[in-house]
Amino acid sequence: MQQYKHLLGVVAFAALVGLIPVITDNGFYLKVLFLIGVNYLAAAGLNVLVGYAGQKSLGHAGLFAVGAYTAALFTAKLGWNPWLAFAAAGAMAGLFGVVIALPALRVRGPALAMVTIGFGVVVEKVVSEWQDVFAGQQGIYGVLPLTFAGEPLDARQWVWLVLALGVAAHLMLRFLLRGKYGRAFMAVNTAEVAAESVGVSVYKYKVLAFVISAVTCGFAGALITQQNQYINSDFITFNLSVFFLLIVLFGGRSVYGPLLGAVVLTLLDAFLARWPGLQHFTYGALLLFALYAMPNGLSGAFAALFRRIRWYERRAAGPERAPIGAWQSQASGKALAGGEVLLRTQGLYKAYGGVVPTNNLDIEIQSGHVHSLIGPNGAGKTTLLNILSGIVPPSKGSIEFRGKSIVGQPVYRICNLGLGRTFQNLKLFADMSVIDNVKVGLHQHIRTGFWAYLLGLPAAARDEARATEQALQILQFLGLQEHARALAGSLPYGLQRRVELARALATRPTLLLLDEPAAGLNPQETAQLVEVIRSIRDLGITILLIEHHMDLVMAISDHVIVLDYGEKIAEGAPLAVQGNPRVIAAYLGTDDEEEDAAPAALGESHV
Amino acid sequence: MAVSILQAMFSGLALGSIYALVALGFNITHNTTKTFNFGQGEFLVAGAFIAVSVLLLLAGHDFKGSLQQAEVTLARYGLSLIATVVIMGLLGVVVYYAAIRPFIGQGGLAWVMSTIGFGIIIQNIALAIWGPSPMVMPSPLGSEVLRIGGAGVLPQEILVLCVSIALMLCLDVVMRKTRLGKAVRAVAQSSSAATLMGINVTAIVVLAFVVSASLAGIAGLLIAPITTASVFMGLTLALKAFSSAIVGGLSNPRGCMLGGFLLGLIEAMVGLWHAELREISIFLLIIFVLVLKPEGLLGQRVVEKV
Repeated sequence: MQQYKHLLGVVAFAALVGLIPVITDNGFYLKVLFLIGVNYLAAAGLNVLVGYAGQKSLGHAGLFAVGAYTAALFTAKLGWNPWLAFAAAGAMAGLFGVVIALPALRVRGPALAMVTIGFGVVVEKVVSEWQDVFAGQQGIYGVLPLTFAGEPLDARQWVWLVLALGVAAHLMLRFLLRGKYGRAFMAVNTAEVAAESVGVSVYKYKVLAFVISAVTCGFAGALITQQNQYINSDFITFNLSVFFLLIVLFGGRSVYGPLLGAVVLTLLDAFLARWPGLQHFTYGALLLFALYAMPNGLSGAFAALFRRIRWYERRAAGPERAPIGAWQSQASGKALAGGEVLLRTQGLYKAYGGVVPTNNLDIEIQSGHVHSLIGPNGAGKTTLLNILSGIVPPSKGSIEFRGKSIVGQPVYRICNLGLGRTFQNLKLFADMSVIDNVKVGLHQHIRTGFWAYLLGLPAAARDEARATEQALQILQFLGLQEHARALAGSLPYGLQRRVELARALATRPTLLLLDEPAAGLNPQETAQLVEVIRSIRDLGITILLIEHHMDLVMAISDHVIVLDYGEKIAEGAPLAVQGNPRVIAAYLGTDDEEEDAAPAALGESHV
Repeated sequence: MAVSILQAMFSGLALGSIYALVALGFNITHNTTKTFNFGQGEFLVAGAFIAVSVLLLLAGHDFKGSLQQAEVTLARYGLSLIATVVIMGLLGVVVYYAAIRPFIGQGGLAWVMSTIGFGIIIQNIALAIWGPSPMVMPSPLGSEVLRIGGAGVLPQEILVLCVSIALMLCLDVVMRKTRLGKAVRAVAQSSSAATLMGINVTAIVVLAFVVSASLAGIAGLLIAPITTASVFMGLTLALKAFSSAIVGGLSNPRGCMLGGFLLGLIEAMVGLWHAELREISIFLLIIFVLVLKPEGLLGQRVVEKV
C-alpha cells in the first residue's frame, strides 16, 4: 500500500516538473532545471557512498571527468552512436569507481578523504596536461548530443530526459536502500567489525558503494558534455568535488536529501554566478556553517520529525507478532547430533610483541554443549574468541570448524560457515532500528541479488517480507518484540546486549560465541540470561561463552576451559574445575596475597 | 645525464623539504587531536602572500605591487618570516576554535568538511585581496645560478633546504628533550591521562595548531621565490605533503620528514623522465604503500581493540 502511495507521489512530482518546460521556453530556466537534474543524479549516487556506506569522497570530479571524456572522445573521435557513448560513459566511470575504491579498503577516515582528493587531482592533471588526447584547456569540440528520433534533443527534451533519469535513479536507489543492501551499507558505516561478524563483506559493500556513486557521476558528466557538445579541463576542479559533496551533506542522508540539496544549491549557484568570487566563498561558508546548524542536513530535521510520528503510530497499533515456532524448527533443523567435535584448535599461538595472549592452545568444542571460557583478567579469553571468529589472525596453529580449516578466512565467511558471535563492548548498529539490526544478521540468508533489488522485482519484496517475519520471530524468542521499531542505540544497556544476541542468532549459527554476555547486567537480568542461554542450547546451538559471573558459569556449563597467560591450565566439568588447585592459584595467586575474591565470588570484575 | 640527475636531485630535495614541513604540520595536530587542517594548502598560500606583502611594506611600497631584487635583503626576509609566523599562528588558533573544536569527537568526519570550508574561505579572501595572478618574490640570495658538480642550483633552493632542516632538527630536539615536548607526546599518547597528570591539554592542542599553521606559512614563504606566489598552488602542495605523511607514517614526525624528501626526489626524477607522469607516479606510490605498509614506512601499526 505504502509502495503505491510513494509511486503515486513520484508520478505526480514528475508530472508537475515535466509541465514546466511546456509552460516556459526561457532558455535560462530550462538550463537551470537541467542542471538540477544532473546534480541530483550525481548526488543521489554519491549519497549511497557518503550517507549510507559512510565513505567520504572528495574526488568525484575525477569520476565526472571519466564520464564526460568518455562521452566526448567516443563520439567526437571514434564516431560512436551518442546513446552508446552515453552508456559507455557510465560503465567506464563504474570501472574507475573500482580503482578509487581500492585505497578505501586500506585506509579509513581522513586519510581516505585525502586519497580521494588525490585521485581527483590526478585526473585533473591528466586531462589538462595530456594535450594529445584530452586537448587540455582548449577542449574537445564536436561532441555528439543525445538524439530523439534522429534529431538532437532540444532544451525541453533535455529537461525531460534528466527528469526521467532522475526518477529512475530515485526509484532504483530507493528499492536498493530500503532492503538488504541499504542495511548492509549502514552496517559497514557504523561498525565494520560487527558487520563482518554477521556475514556482511565490508570489502564487497565498500566497492559496490563506490561503483554506484561512480556510475551516476559518470552519467552526470556525460550529460553535461553531450548537452554542451563540448568539454575542457576547466570543468574538472577540486571545487566540483566539493560541490557534489556539499549537495549530499547539505541535503542529508535520506533518499530525498540529494534532491533537496541539488535544488537549493543549484539555484544558489545560478544566482551567485554573477559574482564568481562570492560563489566559492559561499561554498566554503556553507561547508563550515551548515555543519554547525544542521549536522544531519536539511532532510535530517524532517526525518527526525517523521520518525517520531511513525513510531507513535506503530506503538498505538501494539507490537507486531509472528508465529515463533517456524523459526525455532528451522533453527533446530540445522543442529548437529550432540557429542561430535564441532571445532578443534591445535597449537594455536598468537603474540603481540612479548605478550602472548594465546600460547599453544588445543581446545575442542563438542556440539550441543555449553562451554565456558574463564580465567583472570588478561588471560587471553577475548583474544581467543577474536582468533576463532577470524578478526585476529593467529601467528601459528590450526582451527578446524565443522571439518574445515578456517584459518586465514575472512570474518564474514567464517560467519557464513555457521560461527556467530557477540562482543564484550557492544557493537550494535546504533542508529538502525532493532529489527533492522536483526535483519542485518539475516543478510546472508536473503538470497535475492543486486539487480532484483535495484529493479524492485517481486522476488526482492518477498524476501524482505520473509526477513521481517523471521526477524520478528527471533525478537519474540528473546522477548524483544515490543522494541522492534526502536533505535537500537536508544535501548537500555541490558536490552542492547540482548539485541546483539538476537542479531547473532539471526545468522543461524551452529556455534555461538558470547563474550561476557552478563557484563553490566543486574542479578535479575542475569537470571533471565541463564534461561535464554538454556533455550538457545535447546535449539541445538552449541555455545562457547566467556564469563566472570561464576554462578552463571556453574549453572549452565557442560564444560569449562580455564585460561591463564594464554595457556590452558584446566578443563572439565564445572565442579571439577572449581576445585582444581591450579585454577585457584591463578585467580588468587600462590602467595598469601590479600585478595578477598574467590573464583565462585568473582562477580563484577571486568576485563 | 649525470649532471641533470644531480640538478634534479637538488630541486627535488628543496621541494621535498617543503613537503616535509607541511607534513610535519599534519603530524603534530594529528598526534595530539587525531585531526588536521585539510585547508593546510591554503594556509601555505596565505603565508606566501603575507610574506610578499610584508616585504613590499618594508620596501615602502603598497602591499600589492612588484618587488625588485635589491629590495629583498636577508634581514627583511627574516622580518617577513617573523611576521608570517605570528599571523599564521593566530590563524592556527582561529582554525582550531572555528573548524576543529566544535566537531572533535563527532563521527562522520565533520571536521574534514569544516576545515576544507575554512580553507576555501581563506583562499577566496586571498583572491579578493591579492587577485588571481601570481606575485613574484625575489630570493634574498639573488637569482644567480650556482654550479655544484656542474649542476645548476638556485641559491633559494639551498636556503630552503637549510632552513627546513634547521627547523626540523629544532622540532625534533624540542619534542624529545624538553618538558614541553614531553607534554605534547603525552597528549599524543592519551589526552585523558595527560590531563590527569596536570598537563593543560587545551593549551597543548592550541599550540599544536599554531605550530602547524606556522609551518605551513613558513613553507609558503620559502617556496614563493622558487615558484612565485599563486592563490591556486595550495591544494597540490598540501596533497603531496599529505602523501609524504602517508608514505613516511603520519604518526611519526621523522617518518613525515623522510616521506617529504622521498616524494620530492621521486617527483624530480620522474619529472626528468616524463613530466606529465609526476602526479600519477605519486598516486601510484601511495596505493603501493597503502597495500604493502598502510601505516607508512616509519609508522606504527595501530591495533584496533575489539
